[in-house]
Amino acid sequence: MRTFATAALTLTVLTTLAVAQSSGQWPREFPPRPLEPRPVSFPPFEVKKLANGLTVVLVSQNEQPSVSVRMIVRAGAAHDPKAKMGLAMLTATLLDQGAGARNAEQIADDIDYLGGILSTGAGTDLSYVNTIIMKDDYAAGLAMMADVVRRPTFLPAEIDRQRQQALSGLKVAAEDPESVAGMVIERLIFGFHPYGMPGSGTPESLQSLTRQDFVEFHGRYFVPNNALVAVVGDISPADAMAGLEKYFGDWKQGDVPPFTPIAPPEPTRRVIIIDRPDAVQTEIRVGHLGIPRKHDDFEALDQAVKILGGEGANRLQQVLRSQRQLTYGASADLNSLKFGGAIVAETDTQTASTAEALRVVVDEFSRIQREKVHDAELEAAQDYAVGHFPLTIETPDQLATQVLNQLFYELSVEELPRFRERVLKVTPDDIQRVARWFVRPDQLSVVLVGNAEQFVASLKGAGFGAFERIPIDQLDILSADLKKQ
Amino acid sequence: MRRLKRWGVAAVMAALACGVAVHAASRPPKFMYQRLQLPNGLTVILNQDRSTPIVNVQLWYHVGSKDEKPGRTGFAHFFEHLMFKGSRNVEPEQHTSIVASVGGQANAYTNEDTTVFWQTVPSQFLPLVLWMEGDRMATLRIEQDTFVREREVVKEERRMRIENQPYGRLNEIIYEQAFSTHPYRHPVIGSMEDLNAATLADVRDFYATYYVPSNVTVVISGDFEIDQTINLVNQYLGRVPKALKPVPRDIPREPPQKAEKRVVVEESVPLPAVVVGHHITYDGHPDAYPLHILAKVLSDGQSSRIYRKLVYESGLALTAFGQANLIEHPNLLYTVAIVNPGQSPAAVEKALIAELDRMKAEGVTARELQRSKNQFARDYILGRETVQQKATHLAHAEVLHADIATADGEFDIFQNITQADVQRVAKTYFTPESRVVIHIMPKGPGAGGARPGGQP
Repeated sequence: MRTFATAALTLTVLTTLAVAQSSGQWPREFPPRPLEPRPVSFPPFEVKKLANGLTVVLVSQNEQPSVSVRMIVRAGAAHDPKAKMGLAMLTATLLDQGAGARNAEQIADDIDYLGGILSTGAGTDLSYVNTIIMKDDYAAGLAMMADVVRRPTFLPAEIDRQRQQALSGLKVAAEDPESVAGMVIERLIFGFHPYGMPGSGTPESLQSLTRQDFVEFHGRYFVPNNALVAVVGDISPADAMAGLEKYFGDWKQGDVPPFTPIAPPEPTRRVIIIDRPDAVQTEIRVGHLGIPRKHDDFEALDQAVKILGGEGANRLQQVLRSQRQLTYGASADLNSLKFGGAIVAETDTQTASTAEALRVVVDEFSRIQREKVHDAELEAAQDYAVGHFPLTIETPDQLATQVLNQLFYELSVEELPRFRERVLKVTPDDIQRVARWFVRPDQLSVVLVGNAEQFVASLKGAGFGAFERIPIDQLDILSADLKKQ
Repeated sequence: MRRLKRWGVAAVMAALACGVAVHAASRPPKFMYQRLQLPNGLTVILNQDRSTPIVNVQLWYHVGSKDEKPGRTGFAHFFEHLMFKGSRNVEPEQHTSIVASVGGQANAYTNEDTTVFWQTVPSQFLPLVLWMEGDRMATLRIEQDTFVREREVVKEERRMRIENQPYGRLNEIIYEQAFSTHPYRHPVIGSMEDLNAATLADVRDFYATYYVPSNVTVVISGDFEIDQTINLVNQYLGRVPKALKPVPRDIPREPPQKAEKRVVVEESVPLPAVVVGHHITYDGHPDAYPLHILAKVLSDGQSSRIYRKLVYESGLALTAFGQANLIEHPNLLYTVAIVNPGQSPAAVEKALIAELDRMKAEGVTARELQRSKNQFARDYILGRETVQQKATHLAHAEVLHADIATADGEFDIFQNITQADVQRVAKTYFTPESRVVIHIMPKGPGAGGARPGGQP
């Protein structure tokens, strides 16, 4: 039993097995053996299609008397037209601010009165509308959701109101070191590829958006052949389908224009300091291009990055927090999207240790690329992934999300129950191969958001002599040198 | 840190009342649990749930920042960190990695009233988790160098969570202004000066006083055999020695506030913020339930009265929110609004107070009341999907209400609240004498409430 083997691995932390002496009668002992494992099965689900092309996922689970309906539309911030950054985000925000015969206030009041939840939003590749409703209100919930998805009114007063909110939000985000660091590292890695552009827009782009823009974006992408919906919870598949047919069956198909983003640029290896003189901590981001989600090496590279900075392993956390107390948290993530991806490490540290922490992060990229991982380290990471799997299929929403993700990225849903095999087939040699190929310490971009005056002198000694320093209020994400002109 | 309240509540499945005028809430299923007490004083609650082959184990130590003495703030939270620093049979930092090595998750949190350690693992590793928890309850290693090193991690945590965030000090400011005596006055994370001043003897004393079985409730929720689990609990937690002395509960009370308190503070914030709060009662008091309804209507989310009035209708505020912080001892109901550029904090304060006064004069409408009840029902149902959520509800009822039956009983209490109840608590608590008004103003050159929008 593989999982047991790793539990036994922890025994190596015990040096002796002896009878208790000093601390009362408390024994010195090995951890107990696990019980008989219980079978883990992926609960049954169905994938169907309405005649108009709407893909449907059905999962029946009746522990709680609620039903969750999650819809995703294959268009997100990456689909913002040039100079119209923020369009997908604001379009999604406006969906429930007036739709069908209801105004914004009525929608909010109606869903609360039903004791449901309605949420809308946009990510990089997709937009979503989620509804959770008590099972007796399935029809009422779908009726409201159909209005929101299909018949948003985009009233000028609501556009102005939401635009103002978004502009105010940008002001707050512009002073938030985490969001500034995240925005700049994406811009450095992806350049002017859509994934490098700020999905929440800029003050100028938000000001330029017209009602026509929203109507067109919605009309172009919010069509059934460009959408997927999952119905999960305390409802039979037949009732779930009947509701969808009634409220989405007459939704008209559309011609979705092909999406062909430009290629990301050559790596620039820039070190950008966003100067924030009142900061007590420096936000650190280090990263470069990765791979899209649908890629033969995704599983192996994902495990390599998890060893670098993911759950179940995380060398960055071990060195930065446990060994050196430089941070509260450190991690690395393979963020793989539809049309590309990035490997980004992040941490924060007090100002004085900025250079030291940055050096450690970059060195760990080099180590994972240079040295083969130990069997035990990979096994630990894999045991985490395999053991963790049942924790990721506990709730109906988790199940639905897993199925929707496979469909969205055009991966096989039959793979889902074979999770264990997929993880365990990766070997240390696979990790070394993908780490050598895809991890490139010489191509890293770096963002430091903090009090520059207090750490620039130490950067050179840490091997980062060349950097650009930009006062936080002079940052312009769209200019070549990232500075306001 | 200061967390929003979670409510563990349910009732038996009942016929749904689908009247014409009222849309009544769906009922969640009732909790099934067993409660036992070990000879060493440990309380054990078992909640069997076979839907997924995993198990959540939570240990609630009934000690939080309100148990800390002046000059020793931050100890409860600091101790949460030290509990990962190794015990007789578990090496430092191994607790989390052992749990991770089997695919589980482990973490901990501290608030004003409790320190909670939890893990979710595949079911077969239940013995491992109980063994590790018993080990650190009985034989934690408290050594000078780990103690000194972990203090630096806590300082980073404070910088990250509080000092480096816009409005990160909001809660600290509210509580240091609103409380004069009760330890709710100081933040959970505590003062770095106090942590610097702490000695190893202080830390050992804290452990010996509060980390004892009679101060702990363990809840196990998930897929397990009941008899086997009772044996495991006896084996690994039953052997932890009984405490030598009772757990002290000598927490100073907050004297009643006699007159409105007004303060202006300067902080590095992008826009001014206005806080209007009132002293209220504690979690479990009969008034607490109407206060929850009141706070929901007043200040929870975008359909709340203050959001609609200040953000939506008048444009006075960028955002407006609030909560009734109903915890173990009497606390606060407060509302917060971030002042939009070009608007005045005085106008925002006036608008917030007007909404509180309106609550006294008019209470809530029948529809608002029913909407709140339905929202509560929703939160109960959606808040009990995972084994971790279920365990949390049971532990909350046991530890903070000292009555596990409230985990099921509160559902009906909420559904029976009337409009008169809500108006009565508004009149009881929203008096000018109990009011706290704080203006948080941006500091530094060029800062000010009337700063025009656009680029500097």
